[in-house]
Amino acid sequence: MIFFEHVSKFILSDVNIHIPQGAAVGLIGPSGCGKTTFLKLACGLLRPTAGCVHTMRFIPEKNRRKIGSMAGAFFADIPFFQGEETVENSFRDIRAIYRMGEEIFDREYAALAERLGFGSFAKEPVKQLSLGQRRRAELGAVLLTRPRLLLLDEAAEGLDQTAKDSLREILLKRQAEGTTLVISSHNMEEIAALCDRIILLDHGNLRYYGDRELLLKRFAPMEEMEISFSGKLPDPEDLPIAHYALRQNKLQLTFNSNYVTSAELLGQILAQTTVTAVTTRKSGLAEAIRESQSGQKN
Amino acid sequence: MKNDTLHLAGVYTRTVMKSWFQYNVDAVLRVLAVFLREATGIVVIYFTLLKFDTLNGWNIYELLFLYSLLFLTYGIFIVFFTGLRDFGKTVRDGGFDRFILRPRGLLFQLIFSNADWFAAIGHGGLGIVLFVVSAGNVGIRWNPRTVIYYLAAVAGGILIQGAIFLFLASLNIYLLETDSLKSLLYWNMRRFAGYPISIFHKAIQFCMIYVVPFAFVNYFPAQYLLRKEDMAGYPAVYMYLTPAIGVCLYLAAYGFWRYSIRFYKSSGN
Repeated sequence: MIFFEHVSKFILSDVNIHIPQGAAVGLIGPSGCGKTTFLKLACGLLRPTAGCVHTMRFIPEKNRRKIGSMAGAFFADIPFFQGEETVENSFRDIRAIYRMGEEIFDREYAALAERLGFGSFAKEPVKQLSLGQRRRAELGAVLLTRPRLLLLDEAAEGLDQTAKDSLREILLKRQAEGTTLVISSHNMEEIAALCDRIILLDHGNLRYYGDRELLLKRFAPMEEMEISFSGKLPDPEDLPIAHYALRQNKLQLTFNSNYVTSAELLGQILAQTTVTAVTTRKSGLAEAIRESQSGQKN
Repeated sequence: MKNDTLHLAGVYTRTVMKSWFQYNVDAVLRVLAVFLREATGIVVIYFTLLKFDTLNGWNIYELLFLYSLLFLTYGIFIVFFTGLRDFGKTVRDGGFDRFILRPRGLLFQLIFSNADWFAAIGHGGLGIVLFVVSAGNVGIRWNPRTVIYYLAAVAGGILIQGAIFLFLASLNIYLLETDSLKSLLYWNMRRFAGYPISIFHKAIQFCMIYVVPFAFVNYFPAQYLLRKEDMAGYPAVYMYLTPAIGVCLYLAAYGFWRYSIRFYKSSGN
């Protein structure tokens, strides 16, 4: 769906990536690491200074219209509507621009207006809306044409929790139907819920691209396990763990999941004492990213 | 395909009209404001001419006729070229990126997605008023030939001004800010064009004929119909060139636009 071959632009340097059709990719990294530049290159708003970009087998800046008709892009810094026009009229413009049939338009519009909740202010001029309201309408406009590729840059920012949930639901559904997603966000929870692949950028360098779980294994393999026991005091000294803490009848273990699994550890403890409860905690994406950056500095 | 493009132009126009005229009173007042602002300039000239009678052989009605061409062409022109007039602002606030993301022609979207209807009605209305007041008093013999010439000259004048705006918008891609250039090349020249160019210094005349050819928007077409004596200072063929210059200049500006647009850069962060 998207090919980057030795692409450089602004901060991005020599990025090689292939995003296959149907993938859901999360684009993460600290501010200014090149996320927006990446997305703008993919949809043809920027052209690479070196290397080449292919989106849906086209070179974006040469086939602007073809890509425009098949891909939906959202950028926080690009106003999607003309401020004086009402939401409703802007949608009618979009209907004509994308040559949508009346019936399909009515159905999609009604569904999105209900899910994202912009029907109630559809008759107001866009400039009178709050940021959250405008966002909801803008996202509705991006999703309206059912693009095969969605490029969303910080799309959920400014949305309230209900709208965020609705957006997540819609995107999950679209992805299940075969839409390719590329989403940049600072909200790791959101990325984790939607994306099976991660692109991790750091100062324009591709630090990681691949499976989400593998990213965790590589950058944040530490897990914690808390075991409540009754009876004999277990002896964790010989276990392959990073460290442990013993408090009353609770044993807390921290270990690297690449070397030992929680099941193995639990088995060893069970052999020594009676276990009453177990809780485990894995590192999340947020930790993985922190780790990856502190690793960079060393 | 053609039909579909027309359909989109129609949808755009309806949306634009709705948003410009959503508040009736506001719309009337603002049209009136434009009309009066432009009309004051005319009133000043009227009272000045009461003292001098003629300006290089042009009496007050002939001057009003000269002005009417300026306002009429602007009134029609601005319906199509508001997007280019405001191009710098559109680029700065990211609106042009929106056009790039959509599967339609860029110039088409610029032209049809906005139109300053207040300026159109204000200027156009003033143009019509001036035409009605002056046309019967300047001795033009209206016959099919002069009517066709007049319409062709108006179309040419619109294209000349369109070409200037399209050229400035293209420059905007390299320079990012062309408002001051626009006020120098367009608005200044337009102010000069309110008078017969023969009253100006040779350098200004040169500018208005060969650099920013505003003389072809109203002076030479008016000369064809009025035949004033000061036309002797210019080649007679200039009276017939307006439509051709309009088409050529616009095509040249369009070529420059197509060339320049490849260098457009979205702001990246």
